Amino acid sequence: MFGQQVVNGLMLGSVYALVAVAFTFTIGILNFLNFSIPGIFMVTGMATWAMLKAGVALPIVVVLGLALGAALSFLVERFIFRASTHSDHYVPLVGSMAFLILFENLVLIRWGSDLQRLELPFADTSMRIAGLVIGIPQVIGLLLAVGAVWALAAIMRRTRLGRGLRTIAENPETATLLGVRVGRVVPTVFIIGGVFTALAGLLFAVNYQQVSPFMGEEVALKGISAMVIGGMGNIWGAILGGLVIGVVETAAITWFGARAVDIGVYGLLLLILFFRPTGLLGGHAGERA
Amino acid sequence: MTMASPILELEGVSKNFGGLKVIDNLSFKVMPAERVALIGPNGAGKTTAFNLITDLYRVDSGRIVLDGRDITTVPSRKRIGLGIARSFQNIRLMPHLTVLENVMIGQSAHNASALAMFQPVNLFPGNRWRVHAREALGAAGLGQYALETTGALPYGIQKRIELVRALLSEPRILLLDEPAAGLNPSETEELRQQLNETSRRGVTLIVVEHDMHFIGAFCQRVVVLNFGCKIAECSPHEAQADPLVREAYLGSDEELGQTHAA
Amino acid sequence: MTGYLEGVFVLLAINIILAYGAFLPMAAGQLNLGVAGFVAMGAYIAAYLSNEYAWTPLAAALAASIATAAIAFVVAFPILRTRGIYLALATFALGQVVQATILNLNVVGGASGYPVSTFLGGGMVGAVALAVVIVVIALFHTRLGISLTAVSDDEIAADMMGLSVRWLQTVAFTLGSAVAALGGALYAHHFSFVEAQNFGIMASLYIVLYVLLGGTQTVWGPILGAAVFTLLPELLRGSASWRYVIFACLIIAVMVFRPQGVVTTGMLRRLLDVCRPRALPQGGK
Ligand SMILES: Nc1ncnc2c1ncn2[C@@H]1O[C@H](COP(=O)(O)OP(=O)(O)O)[C@@H](O)[C@H]1O
Ligand SMILES: [Mg+2]
Repeated sequence: MFGQQVVNGLMLGSVYALVAVAFTFTIGILNFLNFSIPGIFMVTGMATWAMLKAGVALPIVVVLGLALGAALSFLVERFIFRASTHSDHYVPLVGSMAFLILFENLVLIRWGSDLQRLELPFADTSMRIAGLVIGIPQVIGLLLAVGAVWALAAIMRRTRLGRGLRTIAENPETATLLGVRVGRVVPTVFIIGGVFTALAGLLFAVNYQQVSPFMGEEVALKGISAMVIGGMGNIWGAILGGLVIGVVETAAITWFGARAVDIGVYGLLLLILFFRPTGLLGGHAGERA
Repeated sequence: MTMASPILELEGVSKNFGGLKVIDNLSFKVMPAERVALIGPNGAGKTTAFNLITDLYRVDSGRIVLDGRDITTVPSRKRIGLGIARSFQNIRLMPHLTVLENVMIGQSAHNASALAMFQPVNLFPGNRWRVHAREALGAAGLGQYALETTGALPYGIQKRIELVRALLSEPRILLLDEPAAGLNPSETEELRQQLNETSRRGVTLIVVEHDMHFIGAFCQRVVVLNFGCKIAECSPHEAQADPLVREAYLGSDEELGQTHAA
Repeated sequence: MTGYLEGVFVLLAINIILAYGAFLPMAAGQLNLGVAGFVAMGAYIAAYLSNEYAWTPLAAALAASIATAAIAFVVAFPILRTRGIYLALATFALGQVVQATILNLNVVGGASGYPVSTFLGGGMVGAVALAVVIVVIALFHTRLGISLTAVSDDEIAADMMGLSVRWLQTVAFTLGSAVAALGGALYAHHFSFVEAQNFGIMASLYIVLYVLLGGTQTVWGPILGAAVFTLLPELLRGSASWRYVIFACLIIAVMVFRPQGVVTTGMLRRLLDVCRPRALPQGGK
């Protein structure tokens, strides 16, 4: 029973982890809390459903979904982040919140507020290991999440792009002096964040076979808790935080009922912000005095 | 009193930033109503010394004594209430307040209690605090700017507004960080008159300045810093002749004794 | 007044109150992304007092506002220790916790909502809103007003001038929460039903956004922001979603072209200069 809960929690956790990576990546490098991420998550989830319903093959759905996430995120960069380089610190945050509202209401206009179910032939394939039921799509999801973060970590360590990003994270002003083409590198932060968010949206749609216009605020926002638990700006921490939140949530549902879960998830966030704002793995506590 | 006791005393004050000793065992005394200059090449630690006296940074070691009382652990917010006011090297006026409102913030030093917060300073033109602030602006020749926001005003005007703001806290010691920098000769002259007037009223002045002509004409004594250490303490005239002081300025991008031909 | 117009009028009055609830901490430089949590507290406490103890709506609203202020004052201490992104996150988390807690409180109906037995007419809601506006505007013409602006402009310089930054921010946060709670209480008593689902993060975002739309530099900004948010969609008609789409686009446009909000101190001064042709620079006395 407990083992099964951990397995289920890890599957849910891999969705949170991917969203948390998107949050933590933009904060770590640009010190920007991007509230449009839950919106992008939701749009990709809904688009996955719509495309599958229209008979598009799954591999194409995946490619188009990721591209959509990247494109929407790029849009946020163009309209909000780029335009507000010289404004007050809250302006990009506020602008990204407007995008969340925009995405949510556009989807509501197009598809209404109903919960939509996905029909997937392979969704229920599973295997049994030591008495635990493990869904194949969920295993693939977890592997994808870890693989994507591993790839991101490799990019950050090994490539020129990664060096540029790390320089910007250190100090945006000197990055230009050091020859980093900030104008070219910053959009890639958004594109990478968008891809991770879209991956989470796809994974959620496929694993749970249901999507709704509110899945952003209901699911993806918990990625914020995951990010803080892991330590802001720390991508491996985001994975850990996501899995912790996933397991805690799954356990809490069985013990306290579904409705008590949010108290735990956000209460934990609050406590961590109060007592250990650098998270479990430690992040850069950039703005704390 | 036969021998006045110092109003401000630094005793072996040190400050590190990431292992770098920015102020190193600094000691000096200032007498009431004295006019002292703190000089030294760029990066010598003059601004940091002011930051320590006002507790913008807390000292790592050493003591700061005001009028015989150890204030080393008194928090920054309370030091202005004890009579230590300052201006900033890079002007720090509030951009969204008018000039008048900015200088009224200076009145907070003795006037920030919960009850004082209800003073209707912007509701009635005849409010006591408002009138007082207006008069102070008028006396400084800045009356016509009272209702403007500070951002668009010329640099020299902003510097003088900052001075009025500091004065409205009724300081006993005023720390001025490069007050004449960026001023043209006539503005410098106006500043000097304003400072003379302040000094006559018994306010102790400690001035960071590069303009030796200004210092020679205005200050009684100089304390010279180099790499956070005090290397001399003498009259302005002696400082200009001191070989150690000359050497400190060599290789730095400034010249000692640079003067604005009057 | 027709029912339709009265409905719009009441919404406007409540939205103006909520705007000041979010504006007060913002004036001290702090974004409160959990403001809807305080609105919910006010709504539920007031509704509970009316239902269970038969308090009159106004007394219940006042008591709810004071009780919420007390709660806000206590949480302000750990919350306001954080700053920047951390403060945004902490207030966000607080709002979520409040909402989730109410959804689990069966005494007030949990997730199925909470009917309110007494009714408060639109005229009274308007009168309270007017009182709030007058009080807040008067407050911003006191030393408190300039001190809050000073804190939001430059915390370090404000501290150096002897202002207690933490205390001022706590006051602004507490007062704002009290005002937000008052708005929630009026809402509950006018619409006779409260549902915690409506007081989540999205509600906080809407409130914060229309305040920023109006501008946080002056006390007049929130009125304009609330008016635009309430009236513009009414003029445009269409479904609720379309209204929000237009609102979001408006915000994005404002953030791109006029990030300091619509009403700024500079603009107010220019307006005053136009109204008062004699306002040439006068010499000091
Ligand atoms: N907050 C700080 N962090 C790190 N180094 C600092 C800080 N403030 C000042 N310094 C360093 O201390 C030295 C002295 O600076 P400062 O007091 O501003 O010099 P001055 O005012 O004499 O030109 C400089 O090397 C400066 O870089
Ligand atoms: Mg300096």
